[in-house]
Amino acid sequence: MNCTECKELLVAYVEGLLDDSQKQTLAEHLKNCPACQAEADELTGLQERLVRNGKTVAQSDLENGVMNQIVREQNIRLKAAAKATEALKTRRILMKSPMTKIAAAAVILIAVVLIGINPFGSSVTWAQVIEPILNAKIVIFDMILGTDDTGVVSHEIVIGSRMRKTMSNMPNMTMIIDTDNAKLLGLDNDAKTAVYVDITGDLGDRHRSYIKFVRQIIHQLQDGQVEELGEQTIDGQKAILFVGKGQNEEVRIWADPETAHPIRIEAQIGQEFSFTMKNFEFNAAIDESLVSMNVPEGFTLQKTDIALGNASEEDFVESLRIWAEIIGDGTFPAVIGSQSAMSDMPTLVQKVDAMQITEEQGTQIGMSFARGLMFHQMMENQGGQWHYAGAGVKLGDASKPIFWYQPQNATTYRVIYGDLSVKDVAAENLPK
Amino acid sequence: MSENDKFYVERCLDGHPDDFRYLVRRYQAALLANLAGKLGDKDRAEEAAQETLVRAYFNMGKLRKPDAFFSWLLGIADLVAKEQYRKEQLQRRRQIVRSFSEEAPPTELSQDYALETAIAELPEAYRKIILLRYYGGHSCNQIAEQLDMPLGTVTKTLSRAYAMLRDALRQQEQASSL
Repeated sequence: MNCTECKELLVAYVEGLLDDSQKQTLAEHLKNCPACQAEADELTGLQERLVRNGKTVAQSDLENGVMNQIVREQNIRLKAAAKATEALKTRRILMKSPMTKIAAAAVILIAVVLIGINPFGSSVTWAQVIEPILNAKIVIFDMILGTDDTGVVSHEIVIGSRMRKTMSNMPNMTMIIDTDNAKLLGLDNDAKTAVYVDITGDLGDRHRSYIKFVRQIIHQLQDGQVEELGEQTIDGQKAILFVGKGQNEEVRIWADPETAHPIRIEAQIGQEFSFTMKNFEFNAAIDESLVSMNVPEGFTLQKTDIALGNASEEDFVESLRIWAEIIGDGTFPAVIGSQSAMSDMPTLVQKVDAMQITEEQGTQIGMSFARGLMFHQMMENQGGQWHYAGAGVKLGDASKPIFWYQPQNATTYRVIYGDLSVKDVAAENLPK
Repeated sequence: MSENDKFYVERCLDGHPDDFRYLVRRYQAALLANLAGKLGDKDRAEEAAQETLVRAYFNMGKLRKPDAFFSWLLGIADLVAKEQYRKEQLQRRRQIVRSFSEEAPPTELSQDYALETAIAELPEAYRKIILLRYYGGHSCNQIAEQLDMPLGTVTKTLSRAYAMLRDALRQQEQASSL
């Protein structure tokens, strides 16, 4: 073996890859050739150095760090993706011109749900926390349906008796509401269309600007039904928690322990409706034209017959029918209420769209659905007792009661069955 | 843990994200050695290695040849290291403007910073094999299988890599003794 051959095989030798005879030949050459032996020594030296360093490096463990970061990012991505799909869905719905009105009905339903609340009477004082809430002319905050911060966010600007809202699931729609005159101006910022909606009737009687509602919550809290639960951390801040319990509602207010600024308010109204308010800002310097009821320049006013007058039981039965027949493919939904109606709204619009009916008919369906839900929401707001048992029941099943309630001042109950017939039933004969 | 990279890559893509941990275990040391040489300190290398692995996880769908996971990972690592280097340069420039504060000595991943730098400077084909051999715990046979090359090529490449490392280390020594 000569030196060139030896050098070629040296790595394989050090790696232990040579067969016995090769190994022997090479070892012999090394014995007799100091240059190659030196080369071999240097190589093993380097190899040892690499092995040593490899062991040191191997002591660092990234596994947990990496896996945790993946989980965190995954969650963020999932949320973002869900939001994007939702926004895209809504956008698609709104952009499809024949369905604009049914979408408008959806928006109005949302507006109705959010303003038609009148839960409390009023009384005395819990001065510090409530001072800005009671006296601010301008209040800005975010409203989220539900209390787990995953619902649709409504950004609200209230100036006196006017308010402006933008919902996170319909970012191109703006609603301006004049509560003095029971009027709503809906603006589609993509289509540049405007629509006026009359919200008199039941709503006219009981609608409230949101801040009025907040004030009522505060009034309730002065009532002696308030419990202070001490300091907590909420939304990353230290806060004092107050819980107020009324007959039909429970309200939790977290306030800054130093400035008394409300950080977060959560309310549960009736059986199914809850919401969260946060990011309060009082008396910010903003332009009052934001709540102008005039059609903005560049917008076309659409003629509309959208009016939300008093809603009746009949309307409610009709929305149950729409819910089962169109949204549920013949089966009543698992839950009813404004929150579930809102989450089912995109499905309704898609299904109606697929029905190949006229714009008028589509709008009619959207309006009927919204109107019937108002009946239910009013009942919730008034603390009415109701029970829903329709989950999974097939439309047309006369043997199954799906909903019953006691009308105000009535002695008997109204029971709605799966075939949507309605009967008066005495309390003792109610379904168990 | 004996499955090949392709197996785990496909498991991850099939909705078993937890199996990514086996790939992390398999390549973290190689990645760290590679990045330590490039970035010159332990904390930075760990940060970059983590970022590399997370990025790899979320971009796995773009990996055309699951067999080539490690080469692909090194590519991402190079990118991350470059980004981090640029970011640090910027920060350093701002810092210099702000003060003449002394620079803290970098905490090294291991004593052998010289070696890591030399590895980081190897051309990719050589670097990959050194990393797999000494930081990924692969034998020459395993490397041959994974990189789909004859064993002879692996040893030849290793031999060349050793020569380059030796040269680089010698140069470093000379430079530091000047």
